[in-house]
Amino acid sequence: MRTVQTTLGARHAVPTLALLAALSIAPLTQAQVRYEDILAGPGENWLTFMGDYAANRHSPLDQITAENVKNVVPKWFFYVEGARRVGSYPVVYDGMMYVSNSNEVYALDAVSGRQVWHYRQEGVEMQRQNRGPAILGDRVFFVTSDCHLVALNRYNGGVVWDAEYADPEQGYHCTVAPVAIKDKIIVGVSGGDSGIRGFLEARNAEDGSQAWKLWTVPAKGEPGSEGWGPKTLDWGGAGTWMPGAYDPELNWLIWPTGNPWPDFYGGDRPGDNLYTDCLIAVDLDTGEMKWYFQFTPHDVWDWDAQEPPLLLDLTIKGKKRKVVVQANRNGFYYILDRKTGEFLHASPFVDKLTWAKGIDEKGRPILVPGMTPNAQGVEVCPTVRGAANWMSDAYNPETGLMYVMTLEACDVYTASAKDPKPMVGFAGTGGENPPGHTGRFLLRASSRRQASVSGNIR
Amino acid sequence: MRALGLFLLLAGALSAQQQAPHGDLAADKVAERYIGDDKAIEAGHELYLSVCSGCHGPTAEGGRGPNLITARNARRASNEELFAMVKNGIPGTDMPPSPLPDDQVWQITAFVRNLSAPAFLQNVKGDPAAGKTIYYGKGGCNKCHMIRGEGGYLGPDLTNIGVSSNLATLREGVFEPNKRLTDGFRPVIVTLKDGKKIQGVAKNNSNYSIQVLENSGKLHLLDKNEVKEVFFREDSWMPSDYAQRLSEQEQNDLLAFLAKQAIRPPSKEKSE
Repeated sequence: MRTVQTTLGARHAVPTLALLAALSIAPLTQAQVRYEDILAGPGENWLTFMGDYAANRHSPLDQITAENVKNVVPKWFFYVEGARRVGSYPVVYDGMMYVSNSNEVYALDAVSGRQVWHYRQEGVEMQRQNRGPAILGDRVFFVTSDCHLVALNRYNGGVVWDAEYADPEQGYHCTVAPVAIKDKIIVGVSGGDSGIRGFLEARNAEDGSQAWKLWTVPAKGEPGSEGWGPKTLDWGGAGTWMPGAYDPELNWLIWPTGNPWPDFYGGDRPGDNLYTDCLIAVDLDTGEMKWYFQFTPHDVWDWDAQEPPLLLDLTIKGKKRKVVVQANRNGFYYILDRKTGEFLHASPFVDKLTWAKGIDEKGRPILVPGMTPNAQGVEVCPTVRGAANWMSDAYNPETGLMYVMTLEACDVYTASAKDPKPMVGFAGTGGENPPGHTGRFLLRASSRRQASVSGNIR
Repeated sequence: MRALGLFLLLAGALSAQQQAPHGDLAADKVAERYIGDDKAIEAGHELYLSVCSGCHGPTAEGGRGPNLITARNARRASNEELFAMVKNGIPGTDMPPSPLPDDQVWQITAFVRNLSAPAFLQNVKGDPAAGKTIYYGKGGCNKCHMIRGEGGYLGPDLTNIGVSSNLATLREGVFEPNKRLTDGFRPVIVTLKDGKKIQGVAKNNSNYSIQVLENSGKLHLLDKNEVKEVFFREDSWMPSDYAQRLSEQEQNDLLAFLAKQAIRPPSKEKSE
């Protein structure tokens, strides 16, 4: 028998109705998901989107091996009724599995696949995909397509609170899997392909109130605003639609940001367009930005930096360093010092890469002339979908390998100088596969033992 | 035929009270004057009792005609479509056209629309503040139900009940809990092979497993191999004597309180 228990607290009510007096009231034990449990990383449970705060997505479970994997068979299916596309990563705790879809969460018995409860926010017309729930204490958290962060009781799916954190009337929609850390729930926003002012926000897990909000596009007059133009600064993009990592020693989030807007035409945003296509380090307590690193300054290919930022401890040139590693959508694999944001290394992880000759000593791309999209169309590699994207990277400490889902493909990119209008789907045109070239997905693994990745791709 | 005869008789009597036509007002502007308007709903209720109840029942729960609280085509119809059904009848069915003036057809439309509107938007003759006192006190509802994370686990969460239910459903749930047992809340007593008994509600049940939630919040994920007997009670764990325990005023107060429970309070405009 598997039993899941609540804690006895102020919120708990003991039945006193005469009819209910006969019901058994079991002694209650601690079964809350604590910050320390998430910090400990996965085992029998999987408590956060990427398995642990370091985004390593590595499970120590060893029942499935290279030898017996051929015997793995499905044990159950759960049909998500009405789903257009399920993009959710389940959270598993204490025998229960929590899965989200657009505007809804299912709680399943993880062994049998049977539904225990289902919560759906009715009346939300917007149907965006949802990347997953978070769990903390006795609550499950998820975001609705129209940007409400919702806290549910994890035993019965009852609503504890519902807090709107972004206004769809301002172009936002929301898909992110929240990240629960200590007493906060971190959320981000989508909509950067049609104009938003991106931000990252922390909400208090207890009541949903705002703890802090960090804009990912500066306001007029702030540092970085000079790298924009008057038509684009207020709608610059830099969405925060994928979960980031967290370094408990620094107490900093390491969070990715999305593309600038309009995606493919840069004429109205002549500078670097901070803080798009960045990793940003953010103090968990205050929301203060500690450093940023921009992978694709003045991006005109829609190369969000939303790929998972893996926090690793590596020996580089004989020196132990705490680093963050990202296989970026632009085709280069980066290693940064995670305390300072200092650029340490980059090398290509795909063969089809034509937009830059390399990365210079400061981490900026050495651009190949003629790769800017124009009205006639320019073939550039990687594709608009990226050499890597939101798909889960992983790091196995036993093999010392980082695993990346890569795409070898190119696109013909076109751009339009049309006056940018936010919130109408205008992206300055886009990219399409050249006829007959669909590309190839390849799972690649690279060694951590050398800072250089080149030559270690399997 | 008696009902239809009454309908026609009344229609003739009422035709003398026709009001001025609506002129050039757009249909949605006309609808705004009636839908959700307390006086129009009340007037529509009176007309309904006279003209429609013969087929649809005095509480609109159906008879010869369908249940107007739950009927899909009534619920999904726009205001104008619903008006057209009342005015023109539904060809191929026993629903006749109405000779009533448009003003009164709109009043009936407003009443019918209100039947299936969220309880939050319906007219509930009660005091929500007094109802709250009953909910947490005399009624003891919070012992088994949650609102915003506070309460017991045995009954459905009521945080959004004012939006997810209409008044008729809400009333039935409170005062006739055994009429319709909600999926995921079937009362169950499970005896395990070791003799231990578990009492609660079955969140799910199959040939192979059963998931039982106790009112304490203790959730049992059981393989049927562990189970000796599963006994589903016919009656809900919910007391069925609130109609006797509470005065009419208290009943209305409790309903008024429940009707105001909403995560995202709807507006009348949005609901149309």
